[in-house]
Amino acid sequence: MRRLPLTLVCAALLVGIMASSIAAAPTRLTVWAMGAEAQKIGEMTARFEKANPGIRVTVQAIPWGAAHDKIITAVAGGTGPDVAQMGTTWMAEFGSIGVFEELSRYISKSKSVEKGQFFPGSWGTCVVAGKVYGIPWYVDTRALFYRTDLLAAKGFKQAPRTWDELRAAAAALAVGGGFGMALSTNNYQEFMPFVWQNGGRILDEKGRPAVTEPQFVEALDFYAKLFHDKLAPIDSGGTDLFQEFAKGTMPMYFSGPWMINMTNEQVPEIAGKWSVAVCPAKKTRTSFVGGCNLVVFRDSKNKDAAWRFVEFMSDAGNQLAWFGVSGCLPAAKAAWDAPELAGNPMMAVFREQLDDAQAPENVPQWAQIEAAIQRRVQEACYGKKTAAEAARALEADIKAIR
Amino acid sequence: MQRRARVAYMFLAPALILMMVFVVVPVVASFVMSLTDFNIRALANWGNARFIGFGNYIRLFGDELFWKALRNTLYFVGIGVPLAVTLSLLLAALLNSPLNRAKSLFRIGYYLPSITETVAIAVVWRWVLNSRYGILKQALEMVGLDSPNWLGDPAWAMPAIIMMAVWKGLGHNALIFLAGLQSIPSTVYEAAQIDGANGWEQFRFVTLPLLAPTTFFVGTMTLIGYLQLFAEPYTLTDGGPLDATLSIVLYMYRHGFKFFNLGYASAMAYVLFGLIFVATLLTMKRKGEEVTFG
Repeated sequence: MRRLPLTLVCAALLVGIMASSIAAAPTRLTVWAMGAEAQKIGEMTARFEKANPGIRVTVQAIPWGAAHDKIITAVAGGTGPDVAQMGTTWMAEFGSIGVFEELSRYISKSKSVEKGQFFPGSWGTCVVAGKVYGIPWYVDTRALFYRTDLLAAKGFKQAPRTWDELRAAAAALAVGGGFGMALSTNNYQEFMPFVWQNGGRILDEKGRPAVTEPQFVEALDFYAKLFHDKLAPIDSGGTDLFQEFAKGTMPMYFSGPWMINMTNEQVPEIAGKWSVAVCPAKKTRTSFVGGCNLVVFRDSKNKDAAWRFVEFMSDAGNQLAWFGVSGCLPAAKAAWDAPELAGNPMMAVFREQLDDAQAPENVPQWAQIEAAIQRRVQEACYGKKTAAEAARALEADIKAIR
Repeated sequence: MQRRARVAYMFLAPALILMMVFVVVPVVASFVMSLTDFNIRALANWGNARFIGFGNYIRLFGDELFWKALRNTLYFVGIGVPLAVTLSLLLAALLNSPLNRAKSLFRIGYYLPSITETVAIAVVWRWVLNSRYGILKQALEMVGLDSPNWLGDPAWAMPAIIMMAVWKGLGHNALIFLAGLQSIPSTVYEAAQIDGANGWEQFRFVTLPLLAPTTFFVGTMTLIGYLQLFAEPYTLTDGGPLDATLSIVLYMYRHGFKFFNLGYASAMAYVLFGLIFVATLLTMKRKGEEVTFG
């Protein structure tokens, strides 16, 4: 009986000390956010601070153009943040040189974060050489935007579902100086889905170039012929895609959900005459998944608090709130059941596409491989090399890079 | 004497220290870097950089894209420099003409592009050069010519870049020429007129020789600037299509700041430095021969 009060006193004291120390010196977290996200993230950090009274978050806005340099400088100078927003294609580059904290042990202890709650393609961007370096924050993917009225006029009652239908529709639409679709000769994000749809890849399991496999060559050939046959414009620089889409001179293109609002704002006159569809299939209907992850820097002195922040932001409910604030699509699948997403038919298409969406191989030299892909794809599109020749040249490029 | 020298050095010290820290040290450091395989791994930990001697330079000579960038840069310089110098001299002569009644207006008009940011100019030029609706296409069609696909055709992308660069630098060069023209005393022209020289002869035998130092200055500065071609292709074409507008500096930028192969990029910088150095020496030599006019 005499022991209990003592324990209570001790406990009370302890709580008191903790509380006072928290009140006196809250843990300070520095978060780097890029681009437009930096302006909007304040609403989320406020919620986080409310739920975690002992932690104060300082957001530093980093412009996208300067982000890469800034991270490099921070790495060299040991002046990095605790948490940062990270483009999915940068994960391997920085992950492989030890910039980020490996998160497995945090995840295994966490009650809320687990692999299965995110889209597989998005989770894949967090994993570098078998190690988890980030948690998916938001995603974007590409789907087919098309003019329902113009396709219907040519006898296509629905969006093309296969490569053959895509080509046939483009050929039928490319009349009177217009094109069948808009496509880029030097954007790997538009090209890669065709490779994946045909079961192709850039690197094999052992990290060797796999671009001379028939699946890759066939995809490149299909892609390049869309330009050879003038179904897509070889030079899309300086093109106002919205105007071309509205005029019907480029009545199909592949892009992301951000184009929905922009199309409604820029060319409201075609409202109701266009829609979105899942990418056409060869073997699969795979698309490109990008977006951003959240990472904890290895040099952070507040890793536990940093993890709490990442955990908070990865929660489906908070990702849905973030969608409300920023329009960024949730990487957590459960968030998509909410009416604001599930009730929107165009968003439902992107939801379906996300189940079959992939990111490029997560290797440190990706920036260089990406440049090589774009160079060789362009050579094939301009007819300077056949698909097979371009693939062989690309194979040599990648061998030199790796 | 010793004391005076010491005092002199003390006064020089601030300038010398600044130059050491911000010029000499980085120059030496980048040369050392060009002898290593300094890349992104080395940025995280300097110990990861290995000394590879002239390996980067040897690799450069086998790099197909580097040769392409070199050829493109020389193409740009070979056409662009004579064009820029000739056109700006003509422009200066026109601006200086007594027939020109709105001198200030024209001077401001031609100078504006020089003080406008290249990025903003590129945005406008993309529209001017647009292959389907561009104003240039419409103008060419009005006089019955076919307009090429300027930025989409590898054969025409570099001419488009040259056009934009020359246009942008025209006003600045013309201003320097204008100053040169105005410093030629009118008595020389009067003497030429008395000798019976017509307008063209006056230009050829009085203006041009007396303007030689200015021409040399404009030519050399343009040459040095044009060899470092970067902003125009970076903003207009990003080196494309098919690497037709990839310049040495743009390629260096890619390796240095996109792929973080800083050793390799430094080697490229030194090759470019050598090129500029030799080119400038050659023009200096020519200058020595030509400017003998008393």
